[in-house]
Amino acid sequence: MSSTPDINIERDVGDFHYETDYEFDAGVGLNENTIDYIVDVKGEDDWVRAFRKKALKTFQEKPNPTHWASKDIENIDYEKIRYYLAKGQRPSRSWDEVPDEVKETFERLGIPEKERAFLAGVEAQFDSEASYSNMKEELAKDGVIFMGSTEALKEHPELFRKWFGKVIPIGDNKFSALNSAVFSGGSFIYVPPGVKVKQPLQAYFRINAENFGQFERTLIIADEGAELTYMEGCTAPKFETATLHSAVVELVALKGAKIQYITVQNWSANVFNMVTKRGMAMDDAEIKWIDCNIGSRLTMKYPGVVMRGEGARGEVLSIALAHDGQHQDTGAKMVHAADNTTSNIISKSISIGEGRSTYRGVVSIPRQLKGCKNNTECDALLINTNSRTDTYPAITVKGNQSTVQHEASVSKVSAEQIFYMMQRGLPEGEAMSLAVNGFVNDLIREFPMEYSVELKRLIDLEMEGSVG
Amino acid sequence: MSTLEIKDLNVSINGTQILKDFTLTIPKGEIHAIMGPNGTGKSTLAKAIAGHEDYEITSGEVLLDGEQIVGMEPDEISRAGLFMAFQYPSEIPGVSIANFIRAARTARIEEGESFSAPAFYKELYDKMDMLKIDRAFTSRSVNEGFSGGEKKRCEILQMAMLQPSYAVLDETDSGLDIDALKIVAEGVNAMRSPDLGVLVITHYQRLLNYIIPDKVHVMYDGRIVETGGPELAEKLEEEGYDWVKHAVGVPA
Amino acid sequence: MMSETIALPNPSLGDPEVFSVHQDLAGLEVDWFKQAQEQAWATYNSLPTPVRTNEKWRFATLKRFRDLSGYSLATTTPAVADTIIEDSHRLQNVAGRIIIADDNLLTDIELDPEVAAKGVIFTTLQDAIRQHPDLVKEYFMQQSPELGSEKFEALHVALLRSGVFLYVPDNVEITNPFVAYNWAVEDKGALFPHTLFVAGANSKATLIEFQEGTGEETEHLVIANAHLFAGPGSKPNHTIVQNWNLNTLSLQLNTNNAQRDTESTSTLINVGSAQARQEVHGKIFGSGSNIELNALNVPSGTQEFDQRTLQSHVAPNSRSDLLFKNALAEKSRTIFSGLIIVEDDAQQTDAYQTNNNLMLSDRAEANSLPGLEIKANDVKCSHGATTGKIDDSELFYFLARGIPRNKAEELMVFGYFEEIIQKLENSELAEYVRDLVQHKFKI
Repeated sequence: MSSTPDINIERDVGDFHYETDYEFDAGVGLNENTIDYIVDVKGEDDWVRAFRKKALKTFQEKPNPTHWASKDIENIDYEKIRYYLAKGQRPSRSWDEVPDEVKETFERLGIPEKERAFLAGVEAQFDSEASYSNMKEELAKDGVIFMGSTEALKEHPELFRKWFGKVIPIGDNKFSALNSAVFSGGSFIYVPPGVKVKQPLQAYFRINAENFGQFERTLIIADEGAELTYMEGCTAPKFETATLHSAVVELVALKGAKIQYITVQNWSANVFNMVTKRGMAMDDAEIKWIDCNIGSRLTMKYPGVVMRGEGARGEVLSIALAHDGQHQDTGAKMVHAADNTTSNIISKSISIGEGRSTYRGVVSIPRQLKGCKNNTECDALLINTNSRTDTYPAITVKGNQSTVQHEASVSKVSAEQIFYMMQRGLPEGEAMSLAVNGFVNDLIREFPMEYSVELKRLIDLEMEGSVG
Repeated sequence: MSTLEIKDLNVSINGTQILKDFTLTIPKGEIHAIMGPNGTGKSTLAKAIAGHEDYEITSGEVLLDGEQIVGMEPDEISRAGLFMAFQYPSEIPGVSIANFIRAARTARIEEGESFSAPAFYKELYDKMDMLKIDRAFTSRSVNEGFSGGEKKRCEILQMAMLQPSYAVLDETDSGLDIDALKIVAEGVNAMRSPDLGVLVITHYQRLLNYIIPDKVHVMYDGRIVETGGPELAEKLEEEGYDWVKHAVGVPA
Repeated sequence: MMSETIALPNPSLGDPEVFSVHQDLAGLEVDWFKQAQEQAWATYNSLPTPVRTNEKWRFATLKRFRDLSGYSLATTTPAVADTIIEDSHRLQNVAGRIIIADDNLLTDIELDPEVAAKGVIFTTLQDAIRQHPDLVKEYFMQQSPELGSEKFEALHVALLRSGVFLYVPDNVEITNPFVAYNWAVEDKGALFPHTLFVAGANSKATLIEFQEGTGEETEHLVIANAHLFAGPGSKPNHTIVQNWNLNTLSLQLNTNNAQRDTESTSTLINVGSAQARQEVHGKIFGSGSNIELNALNVPSGTQEFDQRTLQSHVAPNSRSDLLFKNALAEKSRTIFSGLIIVEDDAQQTDAYQTNNNLMLSDRAEANSLPGLEIKANDVKCSHGATTGKIDDSELFYFLARGIPRNKAEELMVFGYFEEIIQKLENSELAEYVRDLVQHKFKI
């Protein structure tokens, strides 16, 4: 085992798939029958069926947000996607019980190894359902719950239902409606009052099948004074046709709680990644999204924090890297809904070749509040002459007791800097890599050590062949 | 009664106590210096007696010629006769130095008195000449784009124009080269008079080579721990602040 | 030169006959212009009214725009001409002066004979269309803001019958400003002032527009256009002081077209209107140019100022700099939506955009949407937006000098205005604007 566990964010490592027999397959296309199929297979209650059907209606009625978003979303063909695929097994608590081809998948991605190395718990999702879910025993003794959403819905309905769909309502956007209709898998975490989970909990999302849509639903509740860090990684093999990933993640940080949510998104370049992520922070609670988007064809993701309680804090740290044919449309939403709430957004994007990165943000202090603060910094680095970046923030401030500051800049790697390094003997590509690493360095330091080393390596990999 | 008297002053910032029963009296006509290591509460003292709202005076008195100034608004304290030269003077975009000083002077006009613009400008120019400040500076925005030395000279210019009874110079020497330091010191020395009491707050002794104090106080952990003449400053320069820590029983 | 008085009831903008009444009134028998108006009228009727889900109208209040039938064409020459002429002396040293009230030329155009001798044309748009049809045609509506008001732009073109045409020939420099006054007089009147400023190669000139209402109680709709064409090496300077009365719905649609090596400055001062929407498109077609776009906006009461800007860099190696400052009092609202577009070939572009909002009331609302679309990599582009109140440490500095709090706040607000005022090259104008905005904010 290496001293820095391999977390496999190199996309090529994930580019393989196994022929798998699925016991349950909802077929292609989406209608009420698809919903009934999913509900029946999963054996869900009537209220879930009603919730899903309501969401389906909302999804069908809502137009694509093409008046502001990339026209590329019109290329998602909802009729060609398979919405539910599962092997019909309950998630195992031991890797030995996981079906062979699934186990091999995660072994190739190094997940079991990582679990032993530095994680407090792991959940691994293969297409629609969790195939493995395990957590260190002492956490269970503390009352921490960490399991797949499908199981949580059955085992902890009262906890689940209390917050489910409350942070992100069905109709928030077209994709949250879609997820609400066909969701399956994802993590459910509950940390009891005062419990501080020291090691990160990790989820791993794997798409194995072609033309498939993964719609996991994650709900994390940190009770008063609780703390946790959650990390998710995602990969899919390269297929010829487009695949859809549309998750909904809801975080609830009750009074004084702290949630840190880390994502390393490395979908293959045929994946539409349309994710809605939002947290609600009560009094003195803190929610921090650390978001790294490297893969996918089009990502649209704007993690948000609604600061509902006084003194709440929200933070989004975001790194996006867009290569040829990729559009990273990412950003942040900060809604200040109580006095003395503070938020911070730092976004760094790198566009390589004809890659396009977009920052889209909302900062809102919609009522007459006191002592609210937001600071936003967006920096874009353009590597090639035809690289593209956009910045579209929207800031609303009411009243004279709050301060908001937004700064954005666009730059390229300076020729002088590159020349300097080359004069010291570095090849141009390496010099470029160093410069880019320097650009994101202060953000990468925010990631846990195990991730930051890998991220740097990944950036080196992405920069290969970008010059000359 | 012609003193600035600080009695048992306790000051906190965000609940952390910085000044602890701080006591010091500066008679008119004298120059006192406070020296001390960083983080000892020197700047807190200046801001607190000037009435900054972030500095909470939990107990104690500050008597300016017998008048209690604790609890007064910062502008009232200023008009009562206390001048503070800032360590980091604010930049005020769009407000010219002339207009700024004029507003400060106008605020001091007693009822029935009138303001004479020509007399004001003559006085302003004379004092700028004394401090070797280019007259073109009058139309520049207060402190905006000024070098460190220009900012500090602008502070002393304001002091000269407002003629306080007591002046607190907070680290006025910081960020100054030796030439600027001499000009600032000359300005202060020129204002030396039986009608002015000065408290010079500094970390280094070098300013005191040019502004010779009547008394030197060493401050540590929120209070005065030693008082002496100008020779005390030299001792501090030679030996550093470690002996102060020893003297008050703190392991170095 | 003065329009005739027609004894007809003023047609409402909702009346299908309004366009033919307008055509009779304008009486401009120049084919290309007539066709342009007819086409624009058709376009106006075919385009939908904007909705808020349109990004270009995000945060905007659309209520007043939905139904314009309450406004009608102002057909008569105002009765209060003498007072208006008397009040049209905001500046003393001018190269020329045009006074227009309710889209009617009020008095003879003044033009310094020395300036006229240099070939400068400063006249009404109608007159220019008659006298210099080809010159006007070359520039008329050749550029659009493209920022959401296409429908209202069409209405403007269809119903415009008045305006200002300033042409400065190549290599001519005029120091004193050309001044245009536009007055709104008649209640419920709809006005469509049009300004066309053509600066020839290596020329230099300043155009200042004052927009005012004669009464406080009347209501008006104003859809104004101003187009600046800066020829190679020219240095045009254009300022609009918008001070319509507080019942006015005003739209100002501006473009700023820069050829190579130009230095142009456009400034908007916004004081009046119940609701003012302004669109400004600065487009740089040539290298070595520098465009400055400035605005000082001082809304109070329930005023809404909605400003949309676009800095488009088509050519390489040019610079644009935008600074829009708002000071919001009482229950006012502002929207600043700015976009810098750097096209593929516009390498070595420097483009900046700053929006500052000084909040003076706990009920004011500022919306800021500073955007960038960058398609070239060798650029220096940045934007910044700040929203906040008076700085506490600055305030303390004033207080520590004995300046009372309210006086200190006043000085700081006035100081905040100065950054824009000091950019006004004409000192008479700077003094006038200073008085105007300070008067509004006297604490």
